[in-house]
Amino acid sequence: MTELSGAAPVAPSQADSTTPRAGRRSWPHQVIGFLSRSGLLLSLILLIVVLTIFAPNFLTSRNLLNVIRQVSFVGIIACGMTMAMIAADVDLSVGSMVAFASALLGVSHVNLALPLWLAVLVTLAVGTTLGLAAGWLRVRWNIPALIVTLAFLISFRGLAFILTNAFPIMIADDAFEFWGKGEVLGVPVPAIIFVVVVISFMFISTRTVYGRSVYAVGGNAEAARLSGIPVDRIRIMILVTTFFLSALTGVLLSSRLSSANASIAVGMEFDVIAAVLIGGTSLFGGKGSILGTVLGVLFIGLLGNGMVLLDVNTYLQDVARGGIILLAVLLGALQEQRKQATTS
Amino acid sequence: MTETLILEVRDIHKSYPGVQALAGVSLSLNAGEVRGLLGKNGAGKSTLIKILSGATRQDSGQILVGGQPVHIHSPADAFTVGIGTVYQEMSLIPGLTIAENVLLGRWPLAARVGTIKVIDRRETLRATLEALEMMGADLQPNTLVNDLSVPERQIVEIAKALSFKPKILILDEPTSSLPQAEVARLLKLVRQLAANGVAIIYVSHRLQEVPLVTDSISVLREGVLIGTIPVSESSPEVIARMMIGDTWKKTQTRTLSDTQPDIALEVDNLHVKGYLHGVSLKLHQGEVVGIAGLLGSGRTELLHAIFGLHPFQHGTITVNGEKIAHPTPTLMLAKGVGLTPEDRKLKGLVLPLTIEDNLTMSSMDRISTRQVVSPARRRTLAEKMITALAIKTASMTNEARSLSGGNQQKVVIGKWLNAGVRVLLMDEPTRGIDIQAKDQVYTLVRQLAAEGVAIIFVSSELEEVLEVADRILILNQGQIRAELPGAQAHLENVLALAMKKDWE
Repeated sequence: MTELSGAAPVAPSQADSTTPRAGRRSWPHQVIGFLSRSGLLLSLILLIVVLTIFAPNFLTSRNLLNVIRQVSFVGIIACGMTMAMIAADVDLSVGSMVAFASALLGVSHVNLALPLWLAVLVTLAVGTTLGLAAGWLRVRWNIPALIVTLAFLISFRGLAFILTNAFPIMIADDAFEFWGKGEVLGVPVPAIIFVVVVISFMFISTRTVYGRSVYAVGGNAEAARLSGIPVDRIRIMILVTTFFLSALTGVLLSSRLSSANASIAVGMEFDVIAAVLIGGTSLFGGKGSILGTVLGVLFIGLLGNGMVLLDVNTYLQDVARGGIILLAVLLGALQEQRKQATTS
Repeated sequence: MTETLILEVRDIHKSYPGVQALAGVSLSLNAGEVRGLLGKNGAGKSTLIKILSGATRQDSGQILVGGQPVHIHSPADAFTVGIGTVYQEMSLIPGLTIAENVLLGRWPLAARVGTIKVIDRRETLRATLEALEMMGADLQPNTLVNDLSVPERQIVEIAKALSFKPKILILDEPTSSLPQAEVARLLKLVRQLAANGVAIIYVSHRLQEVPLVTDSISVLREGVLIGTIPVSESSPEVIARMMIGDTWKKTQTRTLSDTQPDIALEVDNLHVKGYLHGVSLKLHQGEVVGIAGLLGSGRTELLHAIFGLHPFQHGTITVNGEKIAHPTPTLMLAKGVGLTPEDRKLKGLVLPLTIEDNLTMSSMDRISTRQVVSPARRRTLAEKMITALAIKTASMTNEARSLSGGNQQKVVIGKWLNAGVRVLLMDEPTRGIDIQAKDQVYTLVRQLAAEGVAIIFVSSELEEVLEVADRILILNQGQIRAELPGAQAHLENVLALAMKKDWE
């Protein structure tokens, strides 16, 4: 044997490589580990404390419920976006899809005189089918999801305006308004839907074959393919999911506004992606969690609300939001660096 | 043991555009047999493995497992018929746990609600523990792969293949990232699996370990099976002849000059936390100094510290008499020092750019006037280097990725030479390239030295350090323990010094 690279371990990192590892990663441990590592929860608590002290009327149930209603629209889509970004894909078209869904709902109900429930079903079905089409384009020609959905972002905003002639279409229906404006025991309905979506996605992402496959595809697509994971189908499903959630949000927002409107949710994709990034999901895929995204959504929502209560200049609010995103990603990068320093 | 045929490959053909990768390969394998599969890069080994593991399909030919013809259309098919593969490249997902990786893509189900399949995590853990215990590995199945060291990941990789309970196990360069203790354990494990009746195809570039573990050896060359011989009849010469076609002679052409030329690079008392504890060395113009050291001895860190890629705590670095207090790659390049990194494809080249671009990348000032690049000067510069280093390519406007490993390495070296480098730090310059290309690299190193370039040559293959170096420094536990003139160094001697555990 004259081969040197395979000889006795000398560096400490190799010497301890075979020692048993302590710390089983049970579910609560994972959650605690995540929270302590991310620092996001800490920041969130800090933010709440600061706003409670300085912002008038911040800590009132009325204000907090209002915040939760506001964030739930972004939050619902953010769950799907988290899956997309874990898979190292992204969906830029969500804002336009929300508007397109809203427009389609208004047109099919008012202009085509479909009953409202059928119009809602048609909207959700069309949204899902468009997701299927985007996903098919993405995998069939191996076009990055970023580009496919960029095209959708541009085109479908235009289509939404064409459908509605750029005028809002009134939808007057009390039962329908319940979904966007109503409350159950004082809790806004969109918030309840948000919670249901979050719980479903937490379960899907951690416990199901599909969810774990998403991590596998984002972590190493080739390895996933060789392991028999249907990579293409998963990538299609990811866009089907974000498109469906966008259509759903379009319906909920129309209900909230009592009208179909092609000009809603402009730039929403940035709010959604920002929340997911702040929540610790990597833009390069393979890493991330729904829990983190929820915290990210809450953080952005509370920050925005606090700044309004504190009467901060609107433009300054944008500056602050951008700064927060940079800070969050910077902290993540620092952690990664520290980790590499300790393992190498 | 009665010999039962478990795998039969009959007349497999496979061609890629412009290349006949396999031209009618047939071989058979008995249960419990360990077969070494050898061949140069491009001989068809990886193609054969890809076909058997379902990563690609043959154009024609048959595969029989246990006497039954099988059709392997996908990786899943390969698992199903009982062929498990451990890949050379790490195929683990960092964001998943060990258990999720071991059972990747075939997680046991606890429940199924419509199209939603829920993973049975207890069963996943159990099956993983079973596979890990088969290897005697003490790892927690719930650990994220992201948190594992490289040898630990390799263990998980093998556990993954074992979890299929394969009849045939393909190991593709399984020891390339393992330290010695793990290699010994792996070889033992391979024998143990074979004793249990698993047939094993063992692919390795490390000719030394192949006879230790295999029963027989098959050699491929240019897509054809040259022959299969029992390991008892094999010798390095026999195998080398089968691999390259004619006898490979070791050439030791070294002319030692008696006059002591100027010192090109001097390192004095260098300390790098955790790796180097006071390393001093002198490198003369036109001299090749070989560094012999084990994995983890600090050899890569030494080169990185000199080149400004790794911070150091104490020590001085002097280039051509000028002290460099804070080396950075840009500064070192300006001082005429270049590094050819261990990972040629990732760090040495920009693969999607042309050969021409790569060759001139570090010498922009030579091909540009006021920041504007002159295509004519660029072409001339690249052409000269392609001729000087005999880089084999149809056109220099081809992408760097189109080159073979040896020619890629030449481009990396050529890039530095164009930049006017007089000191070259070479980290594993022959890793992953075939024997003939290695020879060309050795020749090139000697040629450069003859032209006055000073070279530090780091390699884990001791023979080649002996082949090219004028002087050999033994690096062990972060210190230079001995210095031998190349002419006096013997394999056994150097190896003993490099492996010695307790000094003083």
